Amino acid sequence: MLKESQDNAINASRVTFRYNNIKALDELSLEVPAGISFGLLGPNGAGKTTLIRLLVGLLKPKSGSVQILGQKPSRKTAHLIGYMPQLHSLYAELSVIQNLDFFARIYRMTDKIERAQRVEEVIRLVDMWHRRNDSIHKLSGGMKQRVSLACAIVHNPPLLFLDEPTVGLDPELRVTFWEHFTNLTKQGITIIISSHTMDDAAHCDRLAFMRDGKVIADGTPGELQQATGKPGATLEDAFLYFIHHENINGS
Amino acid sequence: MVLNRTFTIAVRIMRQLIRDRRTLALIVVVPVVVMTLIGLSFPERMVLDYIAPALLATIALFFSFLLTGISFLRERSQGTLERLMASPVSRLDIVVGYLLGFFIFALTQTLIIVLFTIYVLDVKYSGDLWQIFVFQIVIIAAAVNLGIFISTFARNEFQMVQFIPLIIFPQVFLCGVIWPVEQMPDYLQWLSKFLPLTYAVDGLRDIMLFGKSLINVGFELGMLVGFTVSVSILAAITLRRGAAS
Repeated sequence: MLKESQDNAINASRVTFRYNNIKALDELSLEVPAGISFGLLGPNGAGKTTLIRLLVGLLKPKSGSVQILGQKPSRKTAHLIGYMPQLHSLYAELSVIQNLDFFARIYRMTDKIERAQRVEEVIRLVDMWHRRNDSIHKLSGGMKQRVSLACAIVHNPPLLFLDEPTVGLDPELRVTFWEHFTNLTKQGITIIISSHTMDDAAHCDRLAFMRDGKVIADGTPGELQQATGKPGATLEDAFLYFIHHENINGS
Repeated sequence: MVLNRTFTIAVRIMRQLIRDRRTLALIVVVPVVVMTLIGLSFPERMVLDYIAPALLATIALFFSFLLTGISFLRERSQGTLERLMASPVSRLDIVVGYLLGFFIFALTQTLIIVLFTIYVLDVKYSGDLWQIFVFQIVIIAAAVNLGIFISTFARNEFQMVQFIPLIIFPQVFLCGVIWPVEQMPDYLQWLSKFLPLTYAVDGLRDIMLFGKSLINVGFELGMLVGFTVSVSILAAITLRRGAAS
């Protein structure tokens, strides 16, 4: 059972969004309890990124409502969220430390000593301290991803949105990333992760399977696997099972 | 608008440019090379003296527009604008931050070009040097904002590059840089009233050729300030559209 809706980190109710004539989200409803890692799983074009953009306040729903931590997403709630977009989204000419310092300042970390300490802390957390003075364009893809994650968490947000954070990471780094995510949720931070790999899905506390702008199923990975009725079913089997059911119900 | 954040953005832009040494060198070298070639190509000193103020205005507008436009486009294409728009900064913080950040470089560039034109190319001028600079500053402010605004309509560098002739060439031909506006057909004269370079050329020519003061060119100055404010508001409004696409 989900907790009461006011304890939820996210409440989305019958949200619709269109890009011109293309429907990206179709009456989507979703509740995410606070303090867990929540996976948005689905193929490309399922609406994962659109949903995240709505939740961080970059887009406004055409109909329906979204709330994060009990409030409508706006500039006033912006300091409560950390956002790691799909692109690395870093200033290529600047060094690792300059990127981090910039985003820390943008998020009102005005105390110089406190800011320097926090910047060092997050750079060490993603194991990039040895490259702190290197420009971003000198780093590998995986390193950029790590710095991008550090920029998203530098201001200690209680809610974190990670749009396909593990794309392009080697298996070793993927494991490290998931260790970071688990540690963050232990600190009470809610993490929303979009992905299309079932490997990521298995790590999440809860999941929503998305397709064509809708949530077709949500629950813990175990619950979703059990719903198939087949012992030993994988998350991939579960996803296909729900797609099959959706097709039958839809037709 | 929060001053602290505006300065943070401005400082970041300056840091980016300082770390990119080649761009920094080009900012200084390119206008000097262009101005030298133009200067050498004029056989008549009188013509050069007449056209030099218009060229200074055009170069200030062109380079500031180009630098800001491309830089802002990169902010969007590399995804940092998306991150910024999801943060507590306002759109006005971003626009004003850019204006301040580029200002120092555009100003340095202008300083070099004006001094080069006057002391190396030996162009005659009769107004005060500081008044020429103040007027150039207003032209730069207009151009920086125009760059941000136009970059909202470009999705990639190719598109932005094509906006450059669209924005710059008509102004060069319609705003009195080469021949007087009064000699053009009525409808083109009417059109020139909406182009900032018209006022930039008129004002700078009045100062440099006829020794007028900033108060005397108050109308031109006012029109440029008006243009700058309008375009910066438009840039702030259209910013969200750009980030979301």
